[in-house]
Amino acid sequence: MWSTFVMTLRTNLQDKASMFWLIVFPLALATLFNMMFADLGSQYELKAVPLATVQDTNWNNDKGASAFIDALSGEAKDATGISRPLLDATRADSVGKARDLIAKGDADGYLTVDKQGRITLTLASGAVAGMDGSGASVSGKSITISALGGAIDLYNRTDALTRKLIADNPWAATSRSFWTSLGSATGMTRETTLTNSVPGVSTRYFYALFAMACIMSMSYSIRAVVTAQANLSALGVRRSIAPLSRTRQLVAGFLASWLCASVCLLVAFAYIRFVLGVPFGGREPAAVLAVVTASFMACAFGTMIGAIPKLSYGVKVGMTSAIACTLSLFSGLYGAFAMSLSDWIARNLPALALINPTQQVVNLFYDILYFDSYRPFLATCGVLLAMSALFLAAGALMLKEQRYEHL
Amino acid sequence: MTIDHPTGAAPEAVPAVSVSGLVKHYGEMTALDHFDLDVRQGEIFGLLGPNGSGKTTAINCILALLAYDSGTIRVFGEPMTPTSYALKRRIGLVPQNVAVLNELTVEENIDYFCSLYVPKKAERAPLVDEAIDFAGLGDYRRFRPGKLSGGLLRRLNIACGIAHKPDLIIFDEPTVAVDPQSRNAILEGIQRLNRDGATVIYTSHYMEEVEEICDRILIMDYGRHLALGTADELKDMIDTGERITIETLDLGDETLAAVRALGFVTDAAWDGRRLDVTCRRGDHNLVDLIGVLRAGGASIGHLTSRPPTLNDVFLELTGTALRD
Repeated sequence: MWSTFVMTLRTNLQDKASMFWLIVFPLALATLFNMMFADLGSQYELKAVPLATVQDTNWNNDKGASAFIDALSGEAKDATGISRPLLDATRADSVGKARDLIAKGDADGYLTVDKQGRITLTLASGAVAGMDGSGASVSGKSITISALGGAIDLYNRTDALTRKLIADNPWAATSRSFWTSLGSATGMTRETTLTNSVPGVSTRYFYALFAMACIMSMSYSIRAVVTAQANLSALGVRRSIAPLSRTRQLVAGFLASWLCASVCLLVAFAYIRFVLGVPFGGREPAAVLAVVTASFMACAFGTMIGAIPKLSYGVKVGMTSAIACTLSLFSGLYGAFAMSLSDWIARNLPALALINPTQQVVNLFYDILYFDSYRPFLATCGVLLAMSALFLAAGALMLKEQRYEHL
Repeated sequence: MTIDHPTGAAPEAVPAVSVSGLVKHYGEMTALDHFDLDVRQGEIFGLLGPNGSGKTTAINCILALLAYDSGTIRVFGEPMTPTSYALKRRIGLVPQNVAVLNELTVEENIDYFCSLYVPKKAERAPLVDEAIDFAGLGDYRRFRPGKLSGGLLRRLNIACGIAHKPDLIIFDEPTVAVDPQSRNAILEGIQRLNRDGATVIYTSHYMEEVEEICDRILIMDYGRHLALGTADELKDMIDTGERITIETLDLGDETLAAVRALGFVTDAAWDGRRLDVTCRRGDHNLVDLIGVLRAGGASIGHLTSRPPTLNDVFLELTGTALRD
């Protein structure tokens, strides 16, 4: 059994095709992703929107509105200003002048104040088009405009409420608690971190890539099964007549395949984590456990594929690529559309996401990154181990049926 | 290389392989039809038949790689099953297709396959060296199979099958697609293994090889046992005798008719230069034939007489020539 384990290990480590798919491919594609997504994160940062401020009579008469806009543009002279300006204000004397600025491309819209002190944000058609709600078009500017709209709306409501309350009960204005409650920022847009660590926009692509490489590692166990089965290869004939039980040969092959797959994937993990800096929530030991669990599932999957009778080794290796590529589509590897599809499946067809091995491998890393507790991670490990058990049972059943097989 | 025989069973008492009434179907096709076989210990036993005649199926059944529908199989007197590990330890197989690991060197391949039988490295090392010497692969120990010629690859295939010194070695068409020089080396090696004490089952559809090295030959076709014996015994079983070829340029119609009328002649054809005559068994066929030709005034040039071959045996037994 030991010699079969060592032999499988040595042959696997010299299998150039598997080495390519498990080490070279993820490293090369991860490097490519890293270059492609280098400035993607910055596109999602809040950016000041160029807006014209129509500083007419109403504007000049309403100090509150102008002070509010100054605060949003970071031009407040006191401490009321915000750390990250939401707008880049350009003064315009009238609405007509403001429209001229839009026409020249110097502004994406303009702000006006009416007689009641109500602020109105008018956006150019080009800026509106960027906020159509589709996930793919979300950018830093559209996020800023949304935040700006929310802030202006809150200001208008608060201003109207204040005016009404003072009109109804002028004595209320003398109360400190009255002004304190008005100043609370309830409903305002605020930047906050929900995850265990700050995820990059491209992080999930790396996870999906890793899941694909993981599935490709099943080629090791396919080979281990095919070369042990008399009905699948000449090597299998020779090994089947040896005085060593087939179960022990298969177990030795499986363990060697698992070890090879884990080592190859850990090399890829080390590169992605420590060279490219892709976050794993500062929980590297859990990520290593995730790699080992995922490779176990992949080898179990490979055992099942390898046990299919009457298909050549070449066809089975081809199936590996086809399965890995297809499943990766549903776990979001191929760009924004695939990511949307993956999210849609997770929301609307959770059972489908549950039975997708690549999605579950991706989920392992999501669990590490997004949750404080290890419970979701362990639950996903459980799902993968249950999958592995099913794959191994199916493989064992097929192999049992082929105890004697037509040669 | 020397084969040690741990069992002291008398060859005549316990056959190396005994197969009785073996039936094997692949769907509706009958691969083995009440097939019988007895291989004595210490002999080279030839299993001769065309491709598709059931040779490999019979071997796979004997090795417990295939289930069969009915019949019994015993190896060294014991029933053979997939878990007969004690028996498997005494068997070596040289499969028809080269079965080696391309990622390992010649030495590593032999060592690995030997390790399935001899787990201890210290006991295995001299066996591996002996197998390398036996196969003449000493200069190629560190070579990977991909770097070997077809003949050397076949020799490696053999070395992997015999390194553990089995008592029974099954060669399944080991000379397919091999050059004549390597073929001779392989056949000599098989005879050497046999001289050292191993029982050999040799399957082939090359009759010359079987006739050259086998003590007894079983001819089979369509999964059936057709005839069994030594090459001479098999030839004695048939009515076909010698084939006589005579160069003659002036053979008249009457003389040709007289030749065909001879009682021992089964067929006679003349192409204007050469007369081919197929005879039944007889002691004076050639003398009688020459007498008829001389009586007809025909000149006689170069003359050859060829005794019957295994192909003639096969032709007479099956009604068809040995298929490739």
